[in-house]
Amino acid sequence: MRKDYLFKRIAITLSAVMILSLAGCSGNNAKSNADSSTAKNDGKTAGVTQEAQTADGPFGAYPEEITYTLGRQTIQNPKLPDGDTYENNAYTRYVKDRLNAVAVDAFEANGEDYDRQVSLAIASEDLPDIMKIGSKDILDELVENDMVEDLTDVYNTYASDYLKEIYDSYDGRSLSTATYDEKIMALPGTNVDSAPNEVWVRQDWLDKLGLKVDEDGNGMITVDELKNIAETFMEKDPGSSKNPVGISLAYWLSSNDYGGSTYCATGIANALGAYPKLWLKNTDGSVYYGSNTEENKKTLGVLADWFKEGILDPQFGTRTWDDITALLTNGQTGITFGVWHIPDWLLNNVRAMDKNATFSTYVIEGENGKANVFHNNASSGYIVVRKGYKHPELAVKISNLFYDELANTKTLEKDYPEVAKYQADGVDGSTRPFNVEINKYTSLLDDYSDIKKGVDGEIAIEDARTLESRNVIQNVKRYLENTATDDVTDWSKYHSRMKGIELIDKLTRENSFNWVEPVFWGTTETMKSNWANLQKLEEETFIKIVTGSVPLNDFDKYVKDWNDQGGSQIISEIEATIK
Amino acid sequence: MNKRNHTPRRKFRSKLTYHIMMMPGMVFLLIFSYIPMAGIIMAFQNYIPAKGLLHSKFVGLKHFKYMLTLPDITQVVVNTVTIALGKILLGTIMAIAFAILLNEIRIKVLKKWIQTIVYLPHFLSWVVLAAVIVNMFNLDGSVNLIITSLGLEKINFLGSNKWFQPLLVTTDVWKEFGYNSIVYLAAITSIDPGLHEAAAIDGAAWRKRIWHITLPGMLPIILLMAAMSLTSILSAGFDQIYNLYTPMVYQSGDVLDTYVYRIGLIGRQYSFATAVGLLKSFIGMVLMLSANGFSKKFTDRKIF
Repeated sequence: MRKDYLFKRIAITLSAVMILSLAGCSGNNAKSNADSSTAKNDGKTAGVTQEAQTADGPFGAYPEEITYTLGRQTIQNPKLPDGDTYENNAYTRYVKDRLNAVAVDAFEANGEDYDRQVSLAIASEDLPDIMKIGSKDILDELVENDMVEDLTDVYNTYASDYLKEIYDSYDGRSLSTATYDEKIMALPGTNVDSAPNEVWVRQDWLDKLGLKVDEDGNGMITVDELKNIAETFMEKDPGSSKNPVGISLAYWLSSNDYGGSTYCATGIANALGAYPKLWLKNTDGSVYYGSNTEENKKTLGVLADWFKEGILDPQFGTRTWDDITALLTNGQTGITFGVWHIPDWLLNNVRAMDKNATFSTYVIEGENGKANVFHNNASSGYIVVRKGYKHPELAVKISNLFYDELANTKTLEKDYPEVAKYQADGVDGSTRPFNVEINKYTSLLDDYSDIKKGVDGEIAIEDARTLESRNVIQNVKRYLENTATDDVTDWSKYHSRMKGIELIDKLTRENSFNWVEPVFWGTTETMKSNWANLQKLEEETFIKIVTGSVPLNDFDKYVKDWNDQGGSQIISEIEATIK
Repeated sequence: MNKRNHTPRRKFRSKLTYHIMMMPGMVFLLIFSYIPMAGIIMAFQNYIPAKGLLHSKFVGLKHFKYMLTLPDITQVVVNTVTIALGKILLGTIMAIAFAILLNEIRIKVLKKWIQTIVYLPHFLSWVVLAAVIVNMFNLDGSVNLIITSLGLEKINFLGSNKWFQPLLVTTDVWKEFGYNSIVYLAAITSIDPGLHEAAAIDGAAWRKRIWHITLPGMLPIILLMAAMSLTSILSAGFDQIYNLYTPMVYQSGDVLDTYVYRIGLIGRQYSFATAVGLLKSFIGMVLMLSANGFSKKFTDRKIF
């Protein structure tokens, strides 16, 4: 009661603070108005001569200095050297030097605040000349209201060959998300595939128990093999924890992005032909929701059986993320799921607790003998140019500089020692004018091939294309010299690259992947109001099925309820969108 | 009435100091309680932060109607009221009982120690306590160790729809009863000790004195506290539930606040969340006013 009063007070105070801070934001906005109007003037004075200068190629500098205003998505600690700011740093000076264009920040904000700033800018119809936006929904809104420049011509004219190669490497899956009526309205940031959801197994335990896994050496294990390992671990308790747990999963069970699939059964579902939480298309063109398929019912059936047999954690459903991590670090469980890079930030905790810990990684084999995987959303973030900005090609030129020249140059240290130092010191990428990544679809495996060659001594460390690869080669070499090392970073880099990516490389080489293409990543009108509720229905039902509190056949009733509560409406909306 | 001294103007002037002393509080109340009430408009709009209160589209009662069409709303409201009532009833009884018992302790030092110990949990945040409770009540926890040592089957308290509500109520009562007993202790001390002495002389035993003197003496405060707590009948304790629940116990543990939090957060439906909050406050106000009315009718005492 008393507590409640206090709570209400705090809530009211907070809302008042929010109102005040909104007022503060509009104050900032006024400042940015002034900035962009000066920018406009600069554009006008320079504009006359500029018209003639537009045929100057992908890296051509402007004869007279121009300014461009930016929306900047920042982070708390970008590790900028003293005196440098987001507005004026080695990267913006690099743009000034190469293109004779000066950055002026219209607004800077962290994370979610940035999205709010973008919303404000859209609402007040006062966009910066160039800015990053986070989501497809916002891009839709901007295009609908005719607020952004059509970039088709400037892309075709100014994009460097390599930049075009990057986008082409996605077979159009990335650019198409920014294409409306065959017009390119934004430069999408790219998002490489990080499939599959790998199974990580304690190799030191397998060795201790003399257990052989994946005897045909194709990098894939079947669902039954996985079950068998879990059973043996439960029985023999190689971690001497006295309380072993076979397989522990997060209660959300799956993720629509491999990056978020840690502790998820996504790999098991994929092996059984299910792609939960994704929008997919039937051969007849109709859209369906991956969680609601017969295949996913089968997945839940398998998990429910495991729960009954005690292979699946008896506390499934109430375990939090941290609980599961603790099971791993305590040596209670030796099997987990996640994308290739989990050794870098999650499994390193296991090694920190147990000096003998090593992992092997596999993908679960489908009945078709392949590793079933889906493509991630190929776009992540968009760069847009304000409608009416005099130099829309600047956005493309800056992209050329950062995603072509900087990625490929071998003489960075000589040409731009300042920029090279930024990269060596790990200054955050958000300090570049555009806080997105534009990488080739194959960049993950390209980098890996450098690392592998470097480790095998086929190329010199300096010949690796990126600074990160050069560092990783050294980590891996150090680990291989002394696998009992105390250095957890060396251990992590070895596991994430030489196990995690090696598996992806192997499956790609051996053509073992069976790729599935989700068809929709956005939010429809009905999703805005009904999605949270549908998600609750899905999560709750699936947990109940797995824990056996309702029978598997309740799945069919769930599908019906899901459709009735807005699901079929959403599906028809998606079908209308992608037609 | 002394006319000379109490003309309105004089009355005001004589109290001027007090009025000035009260001003900061009133200004504070105005700024932080009344002005933000303008935000209630959000409940009747399709509020979009970028457009602000003035330019968002007006949609009338849409959000209230939408709330009623949500498939889980009945269950969520039932959960809320059950958990809140459980906490109010058990919490009040425990606090009163504890106050009476504590008052009987004659050793000052012991009394102070006990008081400090039972107040302590009130000052711990649910985030911390939830971790403790989870550790105690999960399958490998101490409570289940005791249960198995008695030869009984383990109980997954945090994942069972049968046990989750009792767990919420008892842990909340455990956390708050000490602190809530303060006001009842104060009520007890305000009872004239002469009454107790007289009753003792007349041969009334301890139990009789509690029943006929202490409890009736506390009645106005008990009524006041009960009426005040009615306003929170639709708030079953967000922080506690949010930190303890999982989708496994949505069926028994999902309350209005957690439901709105999830729906509001995921869909960024500010207007909907405001509408629910407004409805909650409105129902709370109606309940409190009617409690006041009942109180006047049956005990002839107004609460406020």
